[in-house]
Amino acid sequence: MPATTAALLARARAAFDVLAATAEPVTDELQYLADLETVWGARLQAVSDARGAEEAPPGAEPAIEALEAEAAAITDPHRAIDWMSTLPQVALAAIGETA
Amino acid sequence: MRFMEARPDGRAVVYAHIQADPLVLRAADLLADATTTQRLLARAVMNGESADPARWRAMFPALFGPSAPGPGDPARDRSEAILGVSLEVADRGEQTRSQFRGAVVEALAERLLAGRTGPVRRERRILFDGRPAEIHPYDVTAEREGAAEAWDCKWGARGIKADVIHQLDDARRGAADEGGKLLVGLVVFDARRSCEVRLVRERGPVSLDGLRLVALEGLDRLAGRKPA
Repeated sequence: MPATTAALLARARAAFDVLAATAEPVTDELQYLADLETVWGARLQAVSDARGAEEAPPGAEPAIEALEAEAAAITDPHRAIDWMSTLPQVALAAIGETA
Repeated sequence: MRFMEARPDGRAVVYAHIQADPLVLRAADLLADATTTQRLLARAVMNGESADPARWRAMFPALFGPSAPGPGDPARDRSEAILGVSLEVADRGEQTRSQFRGAVVEALAERLLAGRTGPVRRERRILFDGRPAEIHPYDVTAEREGAAEAWDCKWGARGIKADVIHQLDDARRGAADEGGKLLVGLVVFDARRSCEVRLVRERGPVSLDGLRLVALEGLDRLAGRKPA
């Protein structure tokens, strides 16, 4: 049974949180990390609220799996910060949404 | 207000080699006519860990999935070429790839701007009567009489810092003090949402009214066209 959009966005949010944890040692960017969590968390939640019950489009589930794998592979905290901006965009693109 | 060549220091001489690298030029050529999703692919791969093209193809179903244009279609060919060139950039060492990414954004901005205005130049200083010149040159300038522009280019939102904002605003005010006009802005190869929160935190006392922000989703605006 295909996943719902809400389920995939929840997985994207969990991968985002993995990146946030990896990025945490960069203490002089804590404010920026908090800002990214605020704005991207709100955007993912808004899309989930609007389209969450929909069946995910073809290719979206493997896309989120690939995103999860990439997020888990990132160990450098600075790269994790950069990816905190990129991951939500890629996840939204995978379900046919703009950032 | 007048533009002049920056006097190259040691860093600039080394960086000039990267700016002229065929890989940088190839990436910029491909990205100039790319869609927003193709540019997002480039950002993800150039900043990624994985060297496996299959992972990236899976991550972008709109470009490579079952409903995407098939092999042989120009759009699919461009996506494949962007994936390939981005993996080449990512394959460089961490410090080198960081320099390559910056150079790609500058070269891309140069190409897009040239589609709308000109002459477009790189690494130029801007001088104003009675004001000390800024040391750091602007990445890309459009030097049309009466419609000049100065842009700083950043790979990511983290590159938006108070000194960068201040320098751009200072140039804009310098032109205004002379009765002229200078459009100033930031070209950032990153999501607009991330750039905006960064700008608000870093701006200090500088008003953002006179500062343009062109983020990844809106790069085609530099060329005077709507996003593909």
